[in-house]
Amino acid sequence: MTEMNMVQALNSALDLSMAADDSIILLGEDIGVDGGVFRVTEGLQKKYGPERVNDTPLVELGIVGMAIGMALTGLKPIAEIQFQDFIYTAMDQIINQAAKIRYRSAGQYTVPMVLRTPYGGGIKGGLYHSQSGETYFAHTAGLTVVSPSNPADAKGLLISSIGYGDPVIFLEPKRIYRTIKGEVKDGSYAIPLRKAAVVREGDDITAITYGSMVPTVRDAFEKNNVNGDIIDLRTLMPFDIETIVKSVEKTGRVLVVHEAPRTLGLGAEISAAIAERAMESLLGPILRVTGPDSPFPYRHEEYYLPNEKRIMKAVNKLSEYR
Amino acid sequence: MQEAEKSEEKSRLVKAYTAIVLARTLDKKIVVAQRQGRVGFYTPTMGQEALQIGASMALTEKDLIYGYYRDVPMMLHRGVPMEVIINQIMGNSEDSALGRQMPSHFSDKKRNFMSVQSPVATNLPVATGAAFTQKYRKTNSVVLATFGDGSTSTPDFHAAMNMAAVFNLPVIFLCENNGWAISLPVEKQTIAEIWTKAAAYGMRGLRVNGNDVIETHEVTLEAVKRAREGKGPTLIDAVSFRMGPHSTSDDPSKYRSETVEEGSDRDPVVVTEKTLKSRGYIDDKLIESIKSRAQKIVDDKFEECAKIPPPEPKSAFEDVYGKSTWMLDEEVKDIL
Repeated sequence: MTEMNMVQALNSALDLSMAADDSIILLGEDIGVDGGVFRVTEGLQKKYGPERVNDTPLVELGIVGMAIGMALTGLKPIAEIQFQDFIYTAMDQIINQAAKIRYRSAGQYTVPMVLRTPYGGGIKGGLYHSQSGETYFAHTAGLTVVSPSNPADAKGLLISSIGYGDPVIFLEPKRIYRTIKGEVKDGSYAIPLRKAAVVREGDDITAITYGSMVPTVRDAFEKNNVNGDIIDLRTLMPFDIETIVKSVEKTGRVLVVHEAPRTLGLGAEISAAIAERAMESLLGPILRVTGPDSPFPYRHEEYYLPNEKRIMKAVNKLSEYR
Repeated sequence: MQEAEKSEEKSRLVKAYTAIVLARTLDKKIVVAQRQGRVGFYTPTMGQEALQIGASMALTEKDLIYGYYRDVPMMLHRGVPMEVIINQIMGNSEDSALGRQMPSHFSDKKRNFMSVQSPVATNLPVATGAAFTQKYRKTNSVVLATFGDGSTSTPDFHAAMNMAAVFNLPVIFLCENNGWAISLPVEKQTIAEIWTKAAAYGMRGLRVNGNDVIETHEVTLEAVKRAREGKGPTLIDAVSFRMGPHSTSDDPSKYRSETVEEGSDRDPVVVTEKTLKSRGYIDDKLIESIKSRAQKIVDDKFEECAKIPPPEPKSAFEDVYGKSTWMLDEEVKDIL
C-alpha cells in the first residue's frame, strides 16, 4: 500500500499494464516528453520509449482514429484526449467507427481501445476546460463509460478497461486529480466494470452519484449526519441497476447528483429506470441535484457545481416524505 | 522481355482482365436486380474497375485494405468469394454482417478487407492506425486505404495524411477520383489537383490514369515497395470516371451532361481489352469466353444467394457489446 493521489494511481495502472503487455500503446497530445498536461503519463516515455508513448499532432479525430486502427489490428491503445471539451471533432470516429465496428462486422472486428480524458469543473477552466459530456457517450450503443471517484478505484478501473474488448470512455474527474489522497495497493488489480460501489451505508435515503461528486456528497452526508446509502456508479454506461434498486427498496428516497447539466443528463435515465422498477418502494419524488442547463462559467463556477447546500436542501425535502 | 517474364505478365494481366469483366457483369446484374425490387440499394462501380484491380495487383494476401463502399472489383480480384458480396447486398443469413448494414458495406476479415462504413474518409485515420501496428510489429505488411475525390475535403483526410507522414507509416492512400461526389464535380470539390495535396504533408503524391490497369499497378507497386522499405506513405490520385450514378437512388442526368457510355473509348473494360490485344495476350475468342463465363458465374451465384433466408430478427440486436447490457436485453425482450 502506498498513499497516492489519482494522477499517481492512474500512472501506476498504466506503468504496470505496459510492463506486462507490449501491445499496450499510448498516444495523445503532449503525453510523452511532457508527461501530459496533468502529468498522468509522466515518466512513461522515458521508460517505454517513443514507439509506445507517442506524442501526436494536435488533432483529436486523428488520435482517436489511429487508436481504433491499432485496436483493430491487435494492439491495445490508450489514447489521451487532453480535455474532454476537445473531443467533439472525434465524435464521428467514436460514434460511427469505434462504437459500431463490432456490430457492423458481426463480431469479426472489435475495438479494445481506451480513451482517457479529464472532465468536469472545479479548476477555473471556464467553458472549454470544464465540461461533463458523459451523456453524449452514454447515449451511444457500443460504448462503455467509466468514471472513478478516488485513487484506488481509478487504478483498478483503468486496469479493467485496458483490453476490455469494447471501446471504453474513461472519464477522469480532474477536480479531484490531486485533492484527494488514499491508500492504493502496489501491484496490479482489477475492479470490475458494470458494478457500482456502495461507499456509505444508511437507511433513509439513496444518493446515486459518480466522479468528483462522490466526495462532495459524502462530505455533506458526514457533516450533517445523513443516514443514507451513497452509490458510486463507477461505470456510467451500462450502470448497475441491481445495486440501485436494492438500495431504493430499502430507503424509498432517491437523490441523484451529477455535475453535468440536468436535462437529459444521466440522472434522467436513472430516475426513469428506478420509476419503472421500484415505484412501489418510493416514498416521494426522485430528486436531482445537478449542474444547470447553461455553459460552464469561469468566474462563478462555484454556483454551477452542486455543493453541500444544494444537496442538503434536496435531502431535507426528501425527508419530509414518510 | 524474357519468355518466362512475358508469360508471367500475360497470366497476371489476363487475371486482371477477367476480374474487370466479372466485376462489370456483377455490377450490372445488381443494378438490374435493384430495379426489379430484388435488392434494396447499391453503389455501382462501373468505370473504376481498372484502377481498383491495378492497385489490388500490387498487394499480397497479408496486406490490409481499408476501403469504402465502391470497392467490389478490388474485392473480387483479391479473391473475396462472389457470394460474400451478393449475400451482403441481400442482407441474408449468410452475410458476414447478418444483414445489419445496407448494401455495399462489405466486410471480409479472412481476406483482410475491413468492414466498410458510410461516413466518407472516416476509414483513413483508422487505416493509419492499422499501419502503425504493421510498423510497430514489423510485419512487413502495408495498408491500402481507398476513398473518393469528395473525401479529400474532409478533416479525416487531412488528419490521416498528416499523421501517416509524421509517423512515417506503411500506408498507401488511393484516391479513386471518379470526378463526382454525388452531384458535385471534382473541380468544385477542390481547386488543387488531388495528388498535389501530398506536398502539404511532406508526402509523395502521384497522379495516374485510373483507366490504365498497368500504369495503376506499376505506380501502386512502387508505393507498396517504398512503404515496405520504411520510406513512408504515398498518395495516389487515380483518375477515372463514374460511369453510373452515385447510387441506385440517384439520377445523374439532373446534374451532369458528360457521360461515358459502356463500350466507348473511356470505358476501362474497352481500354484493358485494347491493351491486352496489342500485347497479343487475348483475342476476340478469349474475350467472348471470359464474358460468357462471367455471365454464367454471376447468374448462378445470384440465384443461389437469393435462396438463402434472412437472418433471425434477434440477430439485429446482437454484437453491440462483447456482453450485452441489461438495458438492451430488456428492450429486445419487449420487441420480440
